[in-house]
Amino acid sequence: MTRRIDIAGDGQPLLVADQVTKIYRSGEVSVRALDRLDLTVRAGELVAVMGPSGSGKTTLLNCLSGLDDIDAGRVLIQGRDLFAMTDADRTEHRARSMGFVFQSSNLIPVFTAVENVELPLLLVGTPAREARDQALEILARLGLGGRAEHRPNEMSGGEQQRVTIARALVARPAIVWADEPTGNLDTAMAGQIMDLLQQLNAEEHQTIVLVTHDPAIGRSASRLVRMSDGRLAHDEVRTAALTGATAAIQSG
Amino acid sequence: MYPELTPPLIAGLGAALAVAGYLAVFRPVLRRLAVRQVVRRPTEALLVVLGSLIGTALIMASLVVGDSLNRSVREVAYDSLGPIDEYVTAPSAQISEQAARRLKFLHEDPNVDGVLIMRGDYAAAVLDKAGQQRAEPRALIWEVVFESAANFGAPDRSGLAVADPGPGKVVVTERLARRLDASPGDRITFYAYGQPLPLTVAAVIPSEGVAGVGFGAVDNRNAFVRAGTLLPVARASGGEPTTTTFVSNRGGVESGARLTDEVTARIRAELGPLGESGAAVETPKQEVLDSAEQTSATLGSLFLFIASFSIIAGILLIVNIFVMLSEERKGQLGILRAVGMRRRRVTGEFAVEGALYSAGAALLGVVLGIGIGRVVVVLAMNILNGYDQGDNKLGIVFAVTPTSVVNGLAAGFLIAFLAVILTSVRIARTNIIAAIRDLERTPRRRTRKLSLVLSGIATAVLALASIPAIANSSGAATYLLPALTAVAAIPLLRRIASPRTVYSAVAWAVLAWGLLANVVRPRMFDSQSTATYVVLGCMLSFAAVMLVTEHQAILLRPLRPLVQRSSQAGLATRLAVAYPTAKRFRTGATLGMYSIVVLVIVLLSQSSAVVDSSVEGSVKNATGGWSLRADYSPSAPIPDPQRALTSGEFADVITEAAPLLTAEADASDPLGRTKDLLAVFAVGIPDGFAAGAPELTERLPNLPNDAAVWQLANADSSYVVLDDTYGTTGGPQGATVAPGDRLELTDRASGTRRTYTVAGVLADGSALYGMGSGEFRYPVLMGKPALRTFFGNQAQVSSLLLRTAPGTDLAELSSRLQAEFLLNGLVATDIKQAVRDGFASSRQFFQLMQGYLALGLLVGITGLGVIMVRAVRERRRTIAVLRALGFRASTLRWSFLAESTFIAVEGVVIGALLGVLTTWMLYENSPMFGSLDVSFPIAWRQIALTVGVTLIASMIATLAPARRAAKIRPAVALRIAN
Repeated sequence: MTRRIDIAGDGQPLLVADQVTKIYRSGEVSVRALDRLDLTVRAGELVAVMGPSGSGKTTLLNCLSGLDDIDAGRVLIQGRDLFAMTDADRTEHRARSMGFVFQSSNLIPVFTAVENVELPLLLVGTPAREARDQALEILARLGLGGRAEHRPNEMSGGEQQRVTIARALVARPAIVWADEPTGNLDTAMAGQIMDLLQQLNAEEHQTIVLVTHDPAIGRSASRLVRMSDGRLAHDEVRTAALTGATAAIQSG
Repeated sequence: MYPELTPPLIAGLGAALAVAGYLAVFRPVLRRLAVRQVVRRPTEALLVVLGSLIGTALIMASLVVGDSLNRSVREVAYDSLGPIDEYVTAPSAQISEQAARRLKFLHEDPNVDGVLIMRGDYAAAVLDKAGQQRAEPRALIWEVVFESAANFGAPDRSGLAVADPGPGKVVVTERLARRLDASPGDRITFYAYGQPLPLTVAAVIPSEGVAGVGFGAVDNRNAFVRAGTLLPVARASGGEPTTTTFVSNRGGVESGARLTDEVTARIRAELGPLGESGAAVETPKQEVLDSAEQTSATLGSLFLFIASFSIIAGILLIVNIFVMLSEERKGQLGILRAVGMRRRRVTGEFAVEGALYSAGAALLGVVLGIGIGRVVVVLAMNILNGYDQGDNKLGIVFAVTPTSVVNGLAAGFLIAFLAVILTSVRIARTNIIAAIRDLERTPRRRTRKLSLVLSGIATAVLALASIPAIANSSGAATYLLPALTAVAAIPLLRRIASPRTVYSAVAWAVLAWGLLANVVRPRMFDSQSTATYVVLGCMLSFAAVMLVTEHQAILLRPLRPLVQRSSQAGLATRLAVAYPTAKRFRTGATLGMYSIVVLVIVLLSQSSAVVDSSVEGSVKNATGGWSLRADYSPSAPIPDPQRALTSGEFADVITEAAPLLTAEADASDPLGRTKDLLAVFAVGIPDGFAAGAPELTERLPNLPNDAAVWQLANADSSYVVLDDTYGTTGGPQGATVAPGDRLELTDRASGTRRTYTVAGVLADGSALYGMGSGEFRYPVLMGKPALRTFFGNQAQVSSLLLRTAPGTDLAELSSRLQAEFLLNGLVATDIKQAVRDGFASSRQFFQLMQGYLALGLLVGITGLGVIMVRAVRERRRTIAVLRALGFRASTLRWSFLAESTFIAVEGVVIGALLGVLTTWMLYENSPMFGSLDVSFPIAWRQIALTVGVTLIASMIATLAPARRAAKIRPAVALRIAN
């Protein structure tokens, strides 16, 4: 049973999913990956989406971010209907207001770390020199100052994922989507990455929606959404005591 | 073509198929893997096959060109000679008559199935029909016993199986009938021995076998009359008709020719002392068949040489495709290795897969190659026929021998298969973890040590081998060995310098040696070997590509303002240059494909431009101021021709006539390029020739000017002057005869031999070719007294060089001359036009070779398309991420188009620059352009056309993959990739 709890009242609704349905068809077979799903995400939330394999977690992320089409319903981001836009407008919107962290191989292999990170800035028209400075700055903040000129295959998995996070955040997007961001990392590295995401959420009010299988990560999020068969089965806001992010907000 | 290559090719094919077959049968896992990789993506498998088949197609096309030329020349033996294997001529009618009597019983020899005696000579033929007069100045009229002619060579057809037409009647061949528009019942007047001989056409027969016979020329225009018709005409003018005895060897056209040596020996024995009196045995069929072999080998190998650049491009494409396949499957290969698959099994999987692709490519390539060959044969034959100013044109016979099919199939399969195997060995060496995690591969320490040792040994051995190669100016080896020494030293040099420094230094060294070697060793092209050019093209192209790929950052500086722009165009450009810059090996291989083909196309364009720009100068040099050459029939000589052509109605237009005393002879090749004797025309240097002689390119060192050469050759009977092209047979010119060389002349009539020294070499002796019966003969100029002494009565005047008044209409003058001297069979040739026609044919041949080579550009363009298709698949995830980040579909489309254009531009520019530079270096330093005195031209139009068409075609080839990349839906790509 879904228990709908309003999130902390400091954030405005950033994203509203209204009766979103996504069906995958393969020949005669069709699978309802999202089934009339409703979800509202407010600014500053760190939402963990959990659920068994095939429950529709990644599809949810893809559809709400506009990477994939939907079959019914609508998705409003900052009040604009994502699927009423043309593909070009949606792409533009994505560039200006979203960041992405995927499970692996997120980086453009032929670009160095700093070239990867500056891409979102260049996409929104930031002058090249400024984009380079900001990219270097965020890399330094994430402890990758010495790896700026390295290509992805010259870095460890954890370093690559931190570069991806830097790239997702550098243009200060309204929302960051993260699909299993620690899925390919060992426990220690996964912990570091999660600390980083939580810190960004807490200190900079960065809205993050992440898909994970890891219960520990789910527990550390400010809000936990569980999915089952394409629907929200559980939705709860964690208490401040349980979530570092909330604690940080409160202390701030 | 090339039957000698068939056994090793079949052995190689058998071995390759045995390996692939063994793996497929006894290693079911490998077979399953390989087959599923192929069938999983049929479209891409088809692309791989398409990319690989062009090489096979070009090999096959070259072999087909050889086969067809061979068959076309051989057809002459069937058409014009039929049963005729040998004939005996003599310098006088009396001796020829004696020879015929001695050979009458030769038919009793078991190797001989026919002897035919005919009397005949050149005669002019005129037909008045419907108020119009048509004339043929060079018909051949023979008197023959028709019954004997019909039975000659039985049971094979003689070609002259026609009833005796009776007195006052003539049987003419289709070729003569066509010239005169004659048909049975028409009355033709023949002018033989200066006498008119009116005859009614009884029949028109095909120009085959005995009916097509002649004295060397292929296209003879014959007329046959009953025995006893010519003799009284000849005697009435105080002459005798020439008797020729024809001999047919036992068997058909080809089997009979195999008995030529034995029968010739028998004929010589029968002739006895007549041989010394000038009775000579000709072996026309053997000569035609030998000529067929030589022509087909020369031109077939020339086309194979041109195709070799495309084949190299094809190999680079195959390597590129498999490197990309392995990149795409890196993770998969890593996992296979991790679960226990040995390296050689990985190679085995690629071998089976490669065998499937190679077999498909070889089979389709052979079919496509036969089609391409057919087109090239038609074009080549038309151009070759354009060289001939007379009527000795070859008919086009398209032929494909089973030997060529086997050779083409086996060579195509082996090239593709070996390229796959060598690439897969490299793939199999991938470190398991590096493959799975897509990390940089670092060589193992043991491998590093081994490569150092091997590098040291190879460098030392190659450096030692380079010394004699350079010292001897031995063509390909002079280029190749020092270059390989530098390449072999790379692992050693990397101990002391960074990879970029080492690669750059080696590339510069190879490039410099490629461009400058012929300055140090100017005679290195003398060997006439096409391999020298192949090695040079590869060296220059690969070295330049290596330099470019190592220094892309410098070359991309001009693009920096665009790349740094935070716009969609800037981002598209940034992406477009990022992949080629990062993936150096595959970019290098693609650049190599483009640059090597464009290099050679531009080299041919430039060579053609150099030759073209020298046309007017060459015309002037070749003519020496002479405008026309007049050749007439020796059997109907013009009395005092010099006066006849400069007096009367010609007094005002022909200012000077120089009679040419000539004699047919055989001569050796001073350069030893052939052991066979060359057919030559000994030409007596006319009086006062030195004042208006064609220019010389070289002369003996002690002679201060051209006049001194002519003076020496006139005064000293041991000196001759040759043409620059003496003894050449096509293909790269190589070394030419030089002053001081010695050659031996043989008088065909008496068999007497004498050695001469070359005093000077003519820049262009075109004015002296094509004399006499039209058979191709190299001119050998000597003093008139020396010629008379050596050749005796055989030396005669039947040609004149004519100098005309300024403004004379040469075409009109030629017509008037031919009409006036019709009875003498006079044919006038515009020398300037003949030289220009020769140049035009050369230009056409250059164009044909360029066109043939342009097929190689298809390899590059198709290859680029295939590579971009694979790149889209390989970069699916990256494309998805870029789309997620906010890259527009159009930006991705433009980035793919820009990427292919960037690669194509680099490849084409490298090739074009190297092509111009190489031609310039050759022009400045090589003796092959030594005789040309023009400023170095640049073929801007041709080069622009090559560059433009290549770039547009490359962009078109990338349109489909670029659109495909733009259509990738990010969520789908991410899901598939995950």
